[in-house]
Amino acid sequence: MKKKIGKALVVGAGISGIRSALDLAEIGYGVTLIDRSPHLGGILSQLDYQFPTDRCGMCKMLPLVDRDVSSQYCLRKGLFHENIEILLSTELSSVEGEPGHFHVRLRQKSNWVDPDLCVGCGACAQVCPVEVADTFNAGLTSRKAIYLPVPHAIPNPYIIDMSACTRCGACEAVCPTGAIRLSEQERKKFRILVVDDELIVRDSLKAWFDDEAGFTVDTSESGPDALDKLAERSYQLMLLDIKMPGMDGVQVLQKAKELSPDLQVLMMTAYATVETAVEAMKIGAIDYLIKPFDTETLIPRVLRVYEEIEVSKGREIEVGSLVFCGGTSYFDPAVGKNPFGYKELPGVVTSLEFERILSGSGPSQGKLVRPNDGKPIKKVAWIQCVGSRDLQTNSDFCSNICCMHSIKEALVAKEKSGGDLETAIFYMDMRTFGKSYQRYREEAERSHGVRFERGRVHSIILDKPADETGGDLKLSYTDSSGTVHEEHFDMTVLAVGQRPSIGAEESAKALDIPLNPWGYWETEPFSMTRSRRDGIVLGGAYSGLKDISESVIQASSAALSASRVIHSSGGGLAPETKIVPENADLLRERPKILVTLCTCDDAFSKFIKGQELVSRLERDPAVNAIEFVERTCTATGWESIAGLAEKHRPNRVLIGACLPYVYARKIGELSRKSGINPSLMDVVDIRSSLFPMLGPEEEADSKQCAAMAESTLLAGLAKLKRANPSPAPGVRIHQRALVVGGGIAGMTAALAIADHGFEVDLIEKENQLGGNLSWLKSTLSGHSTHDLLNDTVTKIEKHPLIQVHLDSKVVTSFGQVGHFLTTTQDKDGQPESFEHGVVILATGGEEAATSSFNHGKNEAIITQKELEQGLEHNSIDTEKMESIVMIQCVDSRMEPRNYCSRVCCSSALKHALALKEKNANVAIYIFYRDMMSYGFMETYFTKARKAGIIFIQYNVNEAPEVVIPDNAERNGKAVQVHGYDPILGRKVEIDADLLVLSTGIVPNLPSGLAASFGASIDQDGFFAEADTKWRPVDSMKEGVFACGLAHSPRSIEETIATAEAAAQRSLRILSQEYLSSGKVVASVRHSLCSLCERCIEVCPYEARSLDRDLEKILVNPVMCQGCGSCAAICPNSASVLEGFHEEQIFETIDALLEGTI
Amino acid sequence: MENFEPSIIAFVCNWCTYTAADLAGTSRLYYPKNIRLIRVMCTGMVDPQYIIKAFLEGADGVLVSGCHPGDCHYINGNYKARRRIKLLKEILPQFGFESERLRLTWIGASDGIQFAEIMQELVSQIKALGPNAAKLKMVI
Repeated sequence: MKKKIGKALVVGAGISGIRSALDLAEIGYGVTLIDRSPHLGGILSQLDYQFPTDRCGMCKMLPLVDRDVSSQYCLRKGLFHENIEILLSTELSSVEGEPGHFHVRLRQKSNWVDPDLCVGCGACAQVCPVEVADTFNAGLTSRKAIYLPVPHAIPNPYIIDMSACTRCGACEAVCPTGAIRLSEQERKKFRILVVDDELIVRDSLKAWFDDEAGFTVDTSESGPDALDKLAERSYQLMLLDIKMPGMDGVQVLQKAKELSPDLQVLMMTAYATVETAVEAMKIGAIDYLIKPFDTETLIPRVLRVYEEIEVSKGREIEVGSLVFCGGTSYFDPAVGKNPFGYKELPGVVTSLEFERILSGSGPSQGKLVRPNDGKPIKKVAWIQCVGSRDLQTNSDFCSNICCMHSIKEALVAKEKSGGDLETAIFYMDMRTFGKSYQRYREEAERSHGVRFERGRVHSIILDKPADETGGDLKLSYTDSSGTVHEEHFDMTVLAVGQRPSIGAEESAKALDIPLNPWGYWETEPFSMTRSRRDGIVLGGAYSGLKDISESVIQASSAALSASRVIHSSGGGLAPETKIVPENADLLRERPKILVTLCTCDDAFSKFIKGQELVSRLERDPAVNAIEFVERTCTATGWESIAGLAEKHRPNRVLIGACLPYVYARKIGELSRKSGINPSLMDVVDIRSSLFPMLGPEEEADSKQCAAMAESTLLAGLAKLKRANPSPAPGVRIHQRALVVGGGIAGMTAALAIADHGFEVDLIEKENQLGGNLSWLKSTLSGHSTHDLLNDTVTKIEKHPLIQVHLDSKVVTSFGQVGHFLTTTQDKDGQPESFEHGVVILATGGEEAATSSFNHGKNEAIITQKELEQGLEHNSIDTEKMESIVMIQCVDSRMEPRNYCSRVCCSSALKHALALKEKNANVAIYIFYRDMMSYGFMETYFTKARKAGIIFIQYNVNEAPEVVIPDNAERNGKAVQVHGYDPILGRKVEIDADLLVLSTGIVPNLPSGLAASFGASIDQDGFFAEADTKWRPVDSMKEGVFACGLAHSPRSIEETIATAEAAAQRSLRILSQEYLSSGKVVASVRHSLCSLCERCIEVCPYEARSLDRDLEKILVNPVMCQGCGSCAAICPNSASVLEGFHEEQIFETIDALLEGTI
Repeated sequence: MENFEPSIIAFVCNWCTYTAADLAGTSRLYYPKNIRLIRVMCTGMVDPQYIIKAFLEGADGVLVSGCHPGDCHYINGNYKARRRIKLLKEILPQFGFESERLRLTWIGASDGIQFAEIMQELVSQIKALGPNAAKLKMVI
């Protein structure tokens, strides 16, 4: 892999941060990924199930090519990548410089436990006397002050929560490896100088900080005395009174700062001199404390200073670009009026808390019981929009994901209960605007019996029903007709809305990024990722909460924006090739295996140094030497292994230790030192076999434990002996891209790739570029799409690396990632051929045609697109109109087009507001099913209602009817709409001058075209993603990507994000001349192959093909992901998976069952 | 047969069950040490001959365990395993092995507790079945 000199900083290691970091790392940049929390994964570490598959599968985000540079295990547990440096408990403290050259200062907080020494034995947590709420389980369980932030993380050192720790030292005493650094000695080194003229203040502060908190405290009664003390010795902190006789605090501060600039100063002040204290902060004091002191606030404040200056490690790095992938906070329903009794009533939980109840690692191990009283849950209600779409809680926005995650929670809960669970979701509009979400909702309703109740719950009270059924929470709700109902539930889940992430506002201020009206980071028009400052991009929920697939798209798009900045400032230069150790033909060499056994700090010595195990291992002729290593997990341990490799000169190494996957990275390092191919080294876990022997409770088991460790080692030997030393295969890349479709998506993708220095051919079937932008005028937020189009077309035309081919259509294509051959035809039928390494399908979509609601029968019945065009060309005169009706979801969200087109509600709002502005007297009625004004678009829905636009909700089986009356019949009105208004509770007839139909979007991706590139399309004709959540712009076939409306219905901004994401995914391939596969890759032993082709059918990645000329089955090593399906299906054992040969598995079985017969 | 300690071979997938087993280990959850894990990339690569081989070599039970349906890293490998195991269970008795000796489960990566529970359950089931009768009949 080539390494570029460019570097990026990704702030926030949740799903978006991981995606951005991986994207940047995969094209060769160095990435520093930081997170202020002590674990990776953000909120996803707490979610076991994610819609719309109700499962995980996050590991699918890991690199698909050159796989061995990154971790190959569950991504929810951890991550490593050769190009990514991960710093946890780390915050950004300052950013200076310019795009391409930012100087960034980071601050890493100490967790008080040395992660290199902690072996995760848990002895500390057993003795810790403190119990606090466990944030991992959303506060539903408790944990100790020394704890694991995420129980399943790899690696997983303990950390200390200093705000809870009493520093009793119990953990330090029991830690077998001395990893805990809580020592009083450390604190004694922290010197505080208290300067105050009042004796009582000096004495009490000395008592608090010296005797109780364990610091070293000196006192001074005056300024001059203090300065003398400062001159004598160094102090870390000074607590300085302002009002003192003679020299006052500010003067002392000035002099003290001259004497020792690093000294931190906290001012002490009475209310009267607060202003002076503020002045003091301008000349270097860090904060002020107001007298009289309250120990509750004073001690933690000083502890914070201690932590910040004493234990946090400062770090300065230089990066080309910063990607902010900060997360989100949630509305706290306990604050304010709390009508739902959150934290007061048993069984009222937030959505995140319910998520933990469902989880196998949650408070009840996934059993459906109420966390506080253990009562089984039989009936659950979800209340939507708690802290969203609510002006009273100052949230005039939709939180985007709650409708879907409530449905998901209902479905998962139903599955867990085995069907014995009643569920009801109380909602205003069910916002199922994602690609498959409408069907998901209907499936939940129809097949699983989730009840959807349109209405508002106004309160919950505790009310034990007489007959013991139905639960003790009484919900009172109003349905859309205004009728009040009461119903009992066991549990109520509050779908809490988003709030700006903690610290997001401060960071925005520090970086000079504007906030939008809702308090989130504002992005540039038509971009979801670019901020006002070049080089600072947004990838996460800082700009508003999104579901997984949108977050992943946005994160890739952010990576692209960042990479563009790094590239344009020269970061893409200076390739550096990884040195692959040369291998002699080891297949011919007899295996000489060095076995190192970890004694785990002598704990296992008596079990493994016994002759039995050693002599059994020595019996194997392949074993060259057996050595004991004191602690493999430490740097010294690995050095000693490297030394042993030097001494014994083995050609293979087997390491018996623990946590095999954590060491994959170390194996890479060892390989560089010893020159042994990493695939000829393996770590096996003997610790989990031996560990139980240390405890008294399983003594009887000890023989078995030893046997288990022995067989693990024998199995490791069996596998290693037959490991193949040849390097991983790869493919050569034709570094040129083909983009099909010249709309905004195609143009954006082409520009993004070309800006990275690769040639692009852009194919457009029309005689001009622009697609749908050629008729769109502006967006709901008022930005001109004309300008966007003109800018983009100009850039395309001027770009030296982009070749535009108008009036061209793709005829045929074949090939695979790295090398495709595509033929197009122009309008005269002239063929043209292109060779390219990747393809991006951006064939777009269009407004669906309709004949419903009498469209086409009267010129007053038009679509939203016709309205937009009519308004632009002034062919529709709305000035004299009195009444306009719009109908949403025309032929949409019902079979066969059962999906939401996302843009129709915003178009309707845009047009309705524009019409109202032109002519305030016009009456506008919008018939809708669910208003999909998701995200910040909600504001426009509110605005429209305030402007007097009437919204009438209809159900699909009670759709309005459109009548074209005789000319004379109705006051000259062209159409009449008959519908049912649920608020009035009666039928209405509306005479209208104009009827506007929102018909939605249909894709323009012919199945033949998709098939020629090996892409699949879904049942609605859109591009079928490899994985809707984790690989949203990839096709199952590597090297084929899609974006824009061909991918899914979306707004311009969202379209551009998909285009940039697709470009980013392409660059990961294009940026290498030769792409390496992973080591675990399938191949064919042609002499045994009978060409039955079953392996071709079974390969999920289309990595196999039959070459009819060669009469051979070929495997594309880069497309192969090493699942081994082909090896299992092959009737002749001709198909083999590297590292998992039949012989290896058979010998492993033999080794594991040794002695059983 | 009071002290019968069965030998059980478990083919576990790299992405889910293997890490769950590890989690059970690092979380100090007790599970019987009769289980020998063989890490495979995916349950979809477990060839029936591996399972038969294990029984012939004297395993008293075989477990195949992977990701939950829909979670498979390789899209559908666990479904392939499910079909294959169902068929294999049909023919195992012809080889002289009770079909109950073979088990397929889904254990996700964060399901450490479930891993320990299932292992305990499996060992007691196999204990109830007694030793693999075929191995006693084998003549070397």
